[in-house]
Amino acid sequence: MSARLVRSASIVTVALLFFLPLWWVVASALRPENDIFRFLSEISIWTIVPNELTLQNLIDLWQSDFALAIFNSIFVSAMTVAIGLLVCSSAAFALATIEFPGRNLVFTVMVISFLIPFDAIALPLFNILRGYNLQNTYIGLILPGIGNGLAVFLLRQFFLNIPKEIREAALVDGLSHFAIFWRIYLPLSGHALMSAGLILFIFQWQAYLWPLLIAPAPDYKVAAVAIAQFATTWEVRYGLIFAAAMFISGIPMVIMIVFQRYIAASVASTGGKE
Amino acid sequence: MYRTKLALPFVAAAMAATMTTAAHADTTLNFVGTESPTTWENVIAAFEAANPGVAVEYQQIPFANFNAQIEARVGSQDPTIDVYQADTPRVPALASRGYLQDMSSLGDRIAEVATATEQSAVSYDGTFYALPLWTGTQLLYYNRDLFDQAGIPHPSDDPAERMTWSETLEIARTLQEKTDVEFGFTFHQVDRYFQLQPLFESRGEGSGLTGDDLMTPAISGEGWVDVATWYQELFESGLAPRGVSVNQMPDLFINGQVGMLYGGLPQIRRFNGAEGLNYGIAPVPYFEGGEEVTSTGSWAIGVSPHAANPEEAMAFAAFLTLDAEGSRLVSESTSAVPVNAETYEAYRGRLADMAGGIGDAAAILTFEIQNTAVPRPRSRGYVRFEEIMNQAFSDIRNGSDVADTLSAAERRLNSTLSRL
Amino acid sequence: MSPRHTYLVASAFLAPAFLAVVLLRLWPAALSVERSLVAPNATSYSLENYTYIFSDPVFQNSMLVTLKFLLIVNPLQVAVALGLALLVNTKMPGIGVWRSLIFLPIAIPPSVSATIWGVAYRPDGPLNAMLTSIGLEPMRFLTSPDQALFAIIMIVSWVGVGYWMTFLLAGLQDIPKSLYEAVEIDGANAFQRFRYVTLPQLRRPLTFVLVANTVANFLVFAPVQILTKGGPQGSTDLIMFQIYDRAFTMGDTPSAYAATVVLVSIVLVVVILQFRMMERSEP
Repeated sequence: MSARLVRSASIVTVALLFFLPLWWVVASALRPENDIFRFLSEISIWTIVPNELTLQNLIDLWQSDFALAIFNSIFVSAMTVAIGLLVCSSAAFALATIEFPGRNLVFTVMVISFLIPFDAIALPLFNILRGYNLQNTYIGLILPGIGNGLAVFLLRQFFLNIPKEIREAALVDGLSHFAIFWRIYLPLSGHALMSAGLILFIFQWQAYLWPLLIAPAPDYKVAAVAIAQFATTWEVRYGLIFAAAMFISGIPMVIMIVFQRYIAASVASTGGKE
Repeated sequence: MYRTKLALPFVAAAMAATMTTAAHADTTLNFVGTESPTTWENVIAAFEAANPGVAVEYQQIPFANFNAQIEARVGSQDPTIDVYQADTPRVPALASRGYLQDMSSLGDRIAEVATATEQSAVSYDGTFYALPLWTGTQLLYYNRDLFDQAGIPHPSDDPAERMTWSETLEIARTLQEKTDVEFGFTFHQVDRYFQLQPLFESRGEGSGLTGDDLMTPAISGEGWVDVATWYQELFESGLAPRGVSVNQMPDLFINGQVGMLYGGLPQIRRFNGAEGLNYGIAPVPYFEGGEEVTSTGSWAIGVSPHAANPEEAMAFAAFLTLDAEGSRLVSESTSAVPVNAETYEAYRGRLADMAGGIGDAAAILTFEIQNTAVPRPRSRGYVRFEEIMNQAFSDIRNGSDVADTLSAAERRLNSTLSRL
Repeated sequence: MSPRHTYLVASAFLAPAFLAVVLLRLWPAALSVERSLVAPNATSYSLENYTYIFSDPVFQNSMLVTLKFLLIVNPLQVAVALGLALLVNTKMPGIGVWRSLIFLPIAIPPSVSATIWGVAYRPDGPLNAMLTSIGLEPMRFLTSPDQALFAIIMIVSWVGVGYWMTFLLAGLQDIPKSLYEAVEIDGANAFQRFRYVTLPQLRRPLTFVLVANTVANFLVFAPVQILTKGGPQGSTDLIMFQIYDRAFTMGDTPSAYAATVVLVSIVLVVVILQFRMMERSEP
């Protein structure tokens, strides 16, 4: 059917258009630095297909301080996910399963507070943490990422959907709340935890303003900040920029492709049926 | 010695949660600046050798972010900056806000090595707040091959035969007609007050800041509009490139894409290292009927009043600038012009060598510094002034209405300077 | 379990998150308010910082630019995301791959996308090369006060629409087929199906996308700081950059705090309003 064909063709075209800049980045990263702009002025197939492949840019990149920046990003994001999942799921558990007066109020307050856009209060938070000498530390980088309103919201939704009977049976069996949380709810929450973990990871991986303020020292600089500064040093090294872009984007891309369905599924389903 | 920090993360990983910056020696001094690390390598090594137990860590911060970094870190009393590069015109602004350590204790030594002009460059309110490091001048670099191709005689390197701007632009146009060069002329530091100030001064329009304390902007008068329009015309007419950033300008000259470059002395080192570039130097142009004016002033070294290691910081800063050996080590790693009188003599010799066949750089340097150099206005509001002016120039270069842009900038200056 | 015990247990679970809220969100917000009431060199509280920024043409411009930006980018992104979701809500070979390709850009941190697009927007860059190859005039993009904001809109949209599309797609796929069948029996055409079944059923995911998108767009910072620094002529001076500029370039933290308070207040109001609007039209 031609309508079908048109639709399929549109989908493929759109997808390729979205992908084109990414392709350009990878192609540029893998070609000799001087070629990157040489083939630009006249558009030709060589603009996006490298006629010579080389790993030199990647090698140069790893020998620069950028390797440390990537490590910092990985470390900070991983710690944020680990600590953040604990913090957010605990809170979500309490909000979903423990009946106490004021529960809805607490929930609303928490979600609204986390709606205060983080970057907007980066400046005062920076001054506060600086007062505790937390500038240029990993703690300073990680802290703002561990509490995430969306993650709490998601996890609470999920926990709400776990049948009460399970919990009640466990309580009758004499299990403490903590045991219920740790040994029953968490293991059941694989998907939700992955969604929440993804949210926490992405928040931290792509953070720019905050690391720029709190950790400008080379030892603690994260990748997102480091790459922006590549473009403003005395010599603009395009090979490095594209190679760095490839790495900084590649890592979360792989993670996201693998876990893609967890992002949408959880939110949409918690949104659809209550 | 500038170290790469690959071992650190693994140590850090093990002790992550509670660790702040690890100390590699008993004392670590943190030094930040805009220069490439190679400039400081040797002098840092020497200092560390002479002071066992002290290590110096240098961090290079891009120029565009430098102000913001100092503001964020020194301004918030962060002890992680001990020593930093302080641009001489910013000394009043920095000192008045408490960002620079009082240097009176080194007053005698400063007076020994620096001229009166240079001493005032690092002072505010009669007190020393920084240590003089470099000064500078500007040169007109021109591509000899392109000139030959176009049949244009090489400009003289004698300041007495300085070209006017009209002559220079005429040459630029000829270059574009007769060769396949893309641009006839460009400034190196486009859109920066540092390089454009002489244009206005040359026409007698002043520095843009007036009043007893130089806190009153005066940039929207007819004279300023005229000169700024002239500047805009350069780009409007295609003589000079739009959309190319400061960092990329030297490359343009090296690649033969621009025939003339108005830039600082330090470029000599870079251009000498460029293969296939046949160039010469001449004194920078001036407006016919106006004054011959050139920019000057460069970085000094300051110590943060909140430094974690104040004594070592002062010692290091003094070593870099006042000490004969330290100053010499720095000077040999860069082609920036040292203020230190002793080092300057050796520098002149080296400059004569470096400038080999391109022109008598040393003579131009001496002449400009003694006769035409006009420093930037020493105002408490200089940092803000410079930021706003740079943005205005950038807008003008991109084609905005000159009078409107300057008026808006003046309003903005009034607004922000009143907050000081 | 006694009420007291309940509270204790609940507190134990809630404590870390609650502390995070207070220390990392509420306290800085409160600090901004307090600091914003102290003018430079003043020792008492006053509204001077506020009168200053509201009468400052630079801040006024920033608010206008931000408003203009939001009015364009929000509907644009949501509409495109919805359109894409509708487009890809089908089965075809490799549909997972195509959807992933559209979604991928979100993985790129904003500073990276800004840096890369900065290269693309250069006068001698690939975008102009493409334009000239089909006979069009090269554009100035980031150096033109008329184009720069749109250039930034392009960047954030390229990154974001695939992400929002995924949420809307999941929402689309959750709509029970039976609803469509019911209205088809009544002879509804595609447009009517969309209007009477799809849209209402998408209310939740749409709300989520609209709110989250609005907040994200209020905070756009990296492309401005890296590429345009608020220019040319203030045409891209979005409010997050304005705050940063005031604090670190001008060194005027009191007014930066005042601007922060203004921003946070507006965002909270907008978000709450949007929530209310969508809630009220619940069937």
